[in-house]
Amino acid sequence: MMLPDIPQAAVWAIYFAPITSFLVIVALLRDRPLQAGRFTILAIGVAWLLSVWALDTTIGHDGEALAWGTHHWFSLFNFEVSFGIRLDGLSGVMIFVVTSISLLVQVYSTGYMSGDGGYSRFFALMSLFTAAMLGLVMASSLLQLFIHWELVGLTSYLLIGFWFHRPSAAAAAKKAFIVTRFGDFGFMLALVLIWSKTGTFDIAEINALAQDGLSAAVLTGFVLGLFAGAAGKSAQFPLHFWLPDAMEGPTPVSSIVHSATMVAAGVYLLARMFPAVDASPGEVQTTIAYIGGFTAIFAATMGVVATDIKRVLAYSTISQLGYMVMAIGLGGYVAAIFHLFTHAFFKSLLFQGAGSVSHATNTFEMPLMGGLRKVMPVTFITFLIGSLSLAGVFPLAGFWSKDEILLDAYNHDKILWVVGTAVAFLTALYMFRAIFMTFFGEYRGGAKPEHGGHDAHDDAHGHGGPHESPRSMLIPLIALSIPAILFGLVAPSGFFGELVEGALPEAMRHFHFHANVVVVVTSTVAALGGIAVAAAIYYAGKPQSSVIRAKFGPLAPVVERLYYVNEVAEDGIVRGALYNGAARGAALFDKYVVDMAVNMVGTVTQFTGSILRRTITGQVQSYTSIFILGVVGAAGALLVLSGGLLDRLVP
Amino acid sequence: MLTTFLLLPLGGAVLSALLPHDRAREARWIALVFAMAAFLVSVVMFVMFDRTAEGYQFVDQFDWIAAGDFTIQYVVGVDGLSAPLVLLLGLLSVVAVLVSWNIDVKPKQYFAWLLILEAAVAGVFISLDLIQFFLFWELELIPMYLLISQWGSGRRLYSATKFLIYTLAGSALMLAGFLVLGVEAGTFDMAQIAADPPTEAIVPMAAVFWAIMLAFLVKLPVFPFHTWLPDAHTDAPTAVSVMLAGVLLKMGGYGILRIVVSIMPEQAIEFRTVLATLAGFSVIWGAIITLRQTDLKRLVAYSSVSHMGYVLLGVAALGPVGLSGAALQMFTHGTITGLLFVMVGMVYDRTHTREISQMSGLMHRMPVIGVAMLLAGLASLGLPGMSGFVAELTTFLGAFGPHPTATIFAIFGVVLSAGYILWMIQRVFHGPPTEQWAHLTDAREWWEYAAIVSLVVAIIGVGIYPAILTDVVEAGIAPIAAIVEAAS
Repeated sequence: MMLPDIPQAAVWAIYFAPITSFLVIVALLRDRPLQAGRFTILAIGVAWLLSVWALDTTIGHDGEALAWGTHHWFSLFNFEVSFGIRLDGLSGVMIFVVTSISLLVQVYSTGYMSGDGGYSRFFALMSLFTAAMLGLVMASSLLQLFIHWELVGLTSYLLIGFWFHRPSAAAAAKKAFIVTRFGDFGFMLALVLIWSKTGTFDIAEINALAQDGLSAAVLTGFVLGLFAGAAGKSAQFPLHFWLPDAMEGPTPVSSIVHSATMVAAGVYLLARMFPAVDASPGEVQTTIAYIGGFTAIFAATMGVVATDIKRVLAYSTISQLGYMVMAIGLGGYVAAIFHLFTHAFFKSLLFQGAGSVSHATNTFEMPLMGGLRKVMPVTFITFLIGSLSLAGVFPLAGFWSKDEILLDAYNHDKILWVVGTAVAFLTALYMFRAIFMTFFGEYRGGAKPEHGGHDAHDDAHGHGGPHESPRSMLIPLIALSIPAILFGLVAPSGFFGELVEGALPEAMRHFHFHANVVVVVTSTVAALGGIAVAAAIYYAGKPQSSVIRAKFGPLAPVVERLYYVNEVAEDGIVRGALYNGAARGAALFDKYVVDMAVNMVGTVTQFTGSILRRTITGQVQSYTSIFILGVVGAAGALLVLSGGLLDRLVP
Repeated sequence: MLTTFLLLPLGGAVLSALLPHDRAREARWIALVFAMAAFLVSVVMFVMFDRTAEGYQFVDQFDWIAAGDFTIQYVVGVDGLSAPLVLLLGLLSVVAVLVSWNIDVKPKQYFAWLLILEAAVAGVFISLDLIQFFLFWELELIPMYLLISQWGSGRRLYSATKFLIYTLAGSALMLAGFLVLGVEAGTFDMAQIAADPPTEAIVPMAAVFWAIMLAFLVKLPVFPFHTWLPDAHTDAPTAVSVMLAGVLLKMGGYGILRIVVSIMPEQAIEFRTVLATLAGFSVIWGAIITLRQTDLKRLVAYSSVSHMGYVLLGVAALGPVGLSGAALQMFTHGTITGLLFVMVGMVYDRTHTREISQMSGLMHRMPVIGVAMLLAGLASLGLPGMSGFVAELTTFLGAFGPHPTATIFAIFGVVLSAGYILWMIQRVFHGPPTEQWAHLTDAREWWEYAAIVSLVVAIIGVGIYPAILTDVVEAGIAPIAAIVEAAS
């Protein structure tokens, strides 16, 4: 508002700043870890400043896209590929979220990763991830978005497998890439389909065509394809099971890639293409809403039984992403993006808090923690703020955004509203269960530091009992608490809604903030009820959690085994049906049927060759003999093919 | 210029063969100098190539054998289809020499045959006369057979013979087809035949089409003619695998585009569904079998079967975009699989095993090799930013309209390729460091770096700036697409 409009070059600079730091680290700073960290912070700091300018510009334009041209990349006949920036209310907010969280995570990482042998590699990959994520959110064409979508997938793979000497990390990295690739299969089909029907990848053009012109069949295929991609990235059922394993990556990675930004990319994709989603048949939208709602409650139940604090947060992330997807399916574009926005900050905060806790105790297992609020007051208070925000307690950020989703559900689909409210209860329950197990009671000893590569503790941290984390880790925690508290307060003014709706065609802008007493009261009761139940079981011990567990009978182990999804997917489908079934069958067929025919021919030839070799020895001669055979064969074929050919060759 | 490109490696081969016995080891320097010279010629040719002009450029022509009405001429030239393949051949030949640097068994002969192989493949890519094309096609078999059977490993004689029989069976049919075409058209000049192709012959044109097509499908290869490929690769020395996967397979795809589609577009249109089905099936079949491979080299070899299915799919699309995708895929697969085989060779040189189950945690001992293998693998699974993505996407876009089902299968191949590549990386390179491999050393010789860097640059360069290639390819595909357009 005070600033002039940001020029396009400056927005490109946001994208190229982290690319520069990636290249500089790879080329020059591989052996200078300290400078690698600092250079990354500098580059992303510059990007952050520019992103504030970009956000300011979009506010000045009421969220409407700036009219910028595109840059030609390459073309083949009518397949033309151009890159451009689409800066509007939606992407402006996303750019701001990505750079803000990335900057704080880098600062945090200088403390968390200190002493790790792969420190420079870590910052190089984090820079590359940030660049790819920025490219994803600012893309003006769907193909450009997809390219960066795959690149964030790559960096996610490399970061999950950062400690690749651990078999579990290597397996988790591969799993994450392949499971999301199943979703990307749908995304690629959507790309190919939409190009063959419209001849363009331009997001604005596709959205305009979707609103009038494209047939319902095409839209159904297109939107379901995109949704498959989104379900992979945003860990929606049944492609959700890679995300908890992704916690094998260093915690700063979980804090940005697997909570705040990359996993939200699926929701962003659906929001980016919202006019197309909106134009698609009602059944498609209902499918999206129900998969989101089911994922939300399904993941929340697993969050209640997990004992690893990062996994609790991972299930929570899946569950919250389910909320957002549900909102998109219900037509709640603003609510979905608002929740994405607030969730990014408080979930990043919570992961960093979990990292801080494990920094002190050398474990993520909550049964080994306890009583940490006394020795880690800053971590405790910021974690509490994040949890209250996530649980949706008034007036923290999460309250406002979650209520907008529940309101959309209340207005459109009462079943999903009930589900959503139940999720709010479970969310408060598992978060405060985590808080009571981690920060209250007596300290249960933690774990011994794992030498040679566990979460990056130098040995000085290994003894002397738990302690508060270094300042480089506490500053980001405190900084992230502010948005976790305050960012919801923009809701009642309707300012945020108008900003992100500026990205939609004018006819689709109809956001007005309103609150519904029934929704507010029920969700608040659910949240406080969840906290109360958690306090009763995990603080007061009345009733004991084992008693509750027994009450659920055979259901409890099913949930604890994560509903056997991993077993079905990995052992059943991949190992059983594909590897030992189809692939084995195909390989055997190849060997014994396809190849046998050849070997029979081969045997005959070898036999002939062996006869020839009795008189003529040596390889060249053997070749010659085969060549002669070939020529004879050719001549024979010739004669078969054409009786009269020879007559015509020889006049 | 193209004749120079053809003669340089032959000259190198002669010099190498003439080396006195006590200086045999120096053959590698001769090979490197001549391969580099040929590569430079190909680079100059590619840079000077006029991207706005259709038709053949740098043409050299003279009559060779005149027999009655027929003249068999020597005529070479390149267009936008063959120019990238000539460049690819120049590059991979240098890489092949580099990765053979430590060959000490009969090095004179080895490098001579390697250079002859380069010349023969060059002849296939630049010949504009059917008979001349056929002669070079056959000539390529001699060095291949010898290189595999003499310098190979394992069941090398079996594999070399198998390779020979397959190709010869195909080329017998091809020659018959060529003769029919030439006799009907009254010339063997490709440009002239394509300009005025025979519409009927003494045998049905469909028979001619399949006779020639089969030869190329075997070479490509596609299911069910592919089983020679894994054997030949597994038992061949590294350099030969690089050449085989990198350029020799492309002879099949090139032949289909240059001869089959350009001269017999009507039959191509008639049988496009058969071809697309074969392609889609081949992609999935190859990928599924790749998943089961326990030998590192066989794994890469089978993945080629899958990836060459994309080439056929692009061809079957028969539209300008699909055909361009096929042409691009040939170039990009050449560099990517070339790098994969180079890396497999470097791993094998150190571990002396190719059994995946024997390896673990190699990344700790050889990070350079591990990263290069990872890059090659990512390119192979179609990651954007690398060349393979551009080619595959172009193919899919072109093929989806005419062949939606086959294209969907082919796109699913991308998921499977992520499976076999990343699983391989996990088993071979990830995991804790082991005692067994504690003695391994990373890549550190200049020739190892040169081979890796040149291919990585080619892969990422085209991935980031595909226009280097796409302008040329467009110029080459436009006339072929026009021929198909006119025929339909």
